[in-house]
Amino acid sequence: MTRARKKNGKTPSVVIDDELAAVAADPEMAQMFVADGLEHLGTIEQTILKLEYAPGDLSLINDLFRPFHTIKGNAGVLGIRSIETFSHKLETLLDLARSGRHPIGPAEIEVVLAAVDVLTAMVKDLPARAAGRPVGDQSAQCERILSAVDALIPDQAAPMAAPVTPALPEPEPAAPTAVDEDATIKVSTKKLDALVDMVGELVIAQAILAENPALHRASDDRLSRQLAQIRRITGDIQRDAMSMRMVPIRRTFQKMSRLVRDLAKKFDKPTSVVVVGEETELDRKLVEQLTDPLMHMVRNTIDHGIEPLSVRAAAGKSGSAEIQLRAFHRGGGVVVEIADDGAGLDTHRIFERAVAQGLVADGTQMSPEEIHQLIFRPGFSTADRVTELSGRGVGMDVVRRNIQMLRGRIDIHTERGRGTTFSLHLPLTLAIVDGLVLGVGGDRFVIPTPAVQESLRPHPHQVHTTGGRPSMVQVRDRLIPLLHLGQAFGIRGAREEISDGTVVIAEDNGRPVALVVDELLGKREVVIRSLGEMFRGVRGIAGGAILGDGRIGLILDTGGLLALASATHARATA
Amino acid sequence: MQTTAVLQRPAEAGAMPAAGKYLTFMIGKEEYGLPVLKVREIIKVMDITHVPQVAAHVLGVINLRGKVIPVIDLRRKFGFDAQAPTERTCIIVAEVALQSSTVMMGVVVDAVSEVVSVSAAEIEQPPDFGGQRTTDYLLGLAKVKGGVKILLDLDRVLGSDGQIAIGAV
Repeated sequence: MTRARKKNGKTPSVVIDDELAAVAADPEMAQMFVADGLEHLGTIEQTILKLEYAPGDLSLINDLFRPFHTIKGNAGVLGIRSIETFSHKLETLLDLARSGRHPIGPAEIEVVLAAVDVLTAMVKDLPARAAGRPVGDQSAQCERILSAVDALIPDQAAPMAAPVTPALPEPEPAAPTAVDEDATIKVSTKKLDALVDMVGELVIAQAILAENPALHRASDDRLSRQLAQIRRITGDIQRDAMSMRMVPIRRTFQKMSRLVRDLAKKFDKPTSVVVVGEETELDRKLVEQLTDPLMHMVRNTIDHGIEPLSVRAAAGKSGSAEIQLRAFHRGGGVVVEIADDGAGLDTHRIFERAVAQGLVADGTQMSPEEIHQLIFRPGFSTADRVTELSGRGVGMDVVRRNIQMLRGRIDIHTERGRGTTFSLHLPLTLAIVDGLVLGVGGDRFVIPTPAVQESLRPHPHQVHTTGGRPSMVQVRDRLIPLLHLGQAFGIRGAREEISDGTVVIAEDNGRPVALVVDELLGKREVVIRSLGEMFRGVRGIAGGAILGDGRIGLILDTGGLLALASATHARATA
Repeated sequence: MQTTAVLQRPAEAGAMPAAGKYLTFMIGKEEYGLPVLKVREIIKVMDITHVPQVAAHVLGVINLRGKVIPVIDLRRKFGFDAQAPTERTCIIVAEVALQSSTVMMGVVVDAVSEVVSVSAAEIEQPPDFGGQRTTDYLLGLAKVKGGVKILLDLDRVLGSDGQIAIGAV
């Protein structure tokens, strides 16, 4: 049908350009070109940011030259002249630089970065263009950059002087003949996701088999040895399958470095970026979903965390601020941190603003940590931008929600005048959660272990009532709102009396809730399954997990449970 | 050929429904039919995990070979009295188109009968019940072999947006 539309020629914008014939003819090759190209462009961007601090470093310029050359070469093979010509121009500039005939300065760096942006867009648009879909027009940008390059190297302005000579490929430093032990192949992420899903099912099937009562009755040593063998192999497969989907956080950090650079210029707050642990690996899906919240936080950090030059000077701080991006493993998860050496959070002022905006009652006793968490409240607005601190909360509620959706949490460490560190604690993968299995009536629930603080069997005198109904439990000096899961979810056969059951203290961003359940049934790793679109409106449930006996246990979502608890109490006291 | 017939059902509600093959099943004494192309499999009743905050006819979710799928009870949806499962009670797993995706859903019925071919001539428009919304999910009434079978449009049984959570209490 699309072909028919193209033929009648009424929409010229969708006609495939000549230069895309090869791309359209071989989508697989084109896809590889796009993937490769984006990777090279990422390298270029990272290198040029380094070059900014060491403009004379010849090896960096070489590192810059090579990927441009490769992109040009690949584009030439596929006949994509627009990209070929454009890369060629940049290559010419860099070639002069690496042979010492043209110094690299701020103008050159600016031009190369702009070129990276345009090339990225051009490369990304290729499949859409080849499919005849309209895309953004980059030609004006191209022209602008090309003339900027011409202005920098006027004597080389004669177009395409070099490529007339047959494109002798530059000898790449890594000779392709070398036996590469790290040989890699490209696999589509779709296939990988399908594999991980299937392995998840394998693990479940294995667990179901292992818990089959018939097996327990048959006390056969050989059988149980064989089963243990299967369990071991299944575990290995699962670990390997998961590791295939792990990618280093490097690319995300590169994006952040670029963002810091651009924003630092815009706000006139010179800022350098220090990256630590960029090789730390995370689940690909997690990395994807981490980018937006991180960008938001970086923006906030530069906008509000880092002081204007004059303020820094007055405080005796160095004129150039520093933002550290750190990633490291801790306790079965990953921590990603954004640390600045800016002004730090003004606890007093945040509290005042929260009171002014009606988020907390005046005179509420709160610890500094609790006050800092207020910046994540929806509605914590920062309309007053006169002081540099007031803006911290712009969209931070969205950031926190995104992080929570990844089953992570955000900690803040801040010191007045010294800076702020936001620590994102994240699981390694989104597919598996370490959970505590809870029994309520005949139903079972799973609560992610990181959300659990402690569990206890409360004394009746620890339980406080409002309006005749139990509503709080006192644990040491804290009063924690109660949520009776059996009652809240209408589960038949759940134990009525709190003192007959067990209380699990779970927390969501520092706010605790005490869940009343019948019993704890143990800890286990479960594969998370979405309940699907139809159950989106259900509060307090994050998904389903298939348990050892093949039945489904619902995975609890602490944030949603807290909302349920406060709704219940609002009704009880109304 | 049946394929084309089923797919040709005009989009506008109340238009002439399509002929084709239907899987028929019983609820109480009434006989219903689902387009056979929508049906993926028929399974025995299994343990259903109750999900809170949903409408009464939503029984919960089941584990279908590693997939989590929702299960609804047509008895309750159509206002019959609840009834304990018998040995003939089944779950029909069918495809349901929601707003943005197609999902698998289990439908609990009293008993599965047979697959019948229904021709266009045998299908009648559902009578007007006085503006009630119940007719929304009826494809039509089929008069086959002396009986009347109620042909269901499962996509619409759930309501317009496919959301079955009734929201927090």
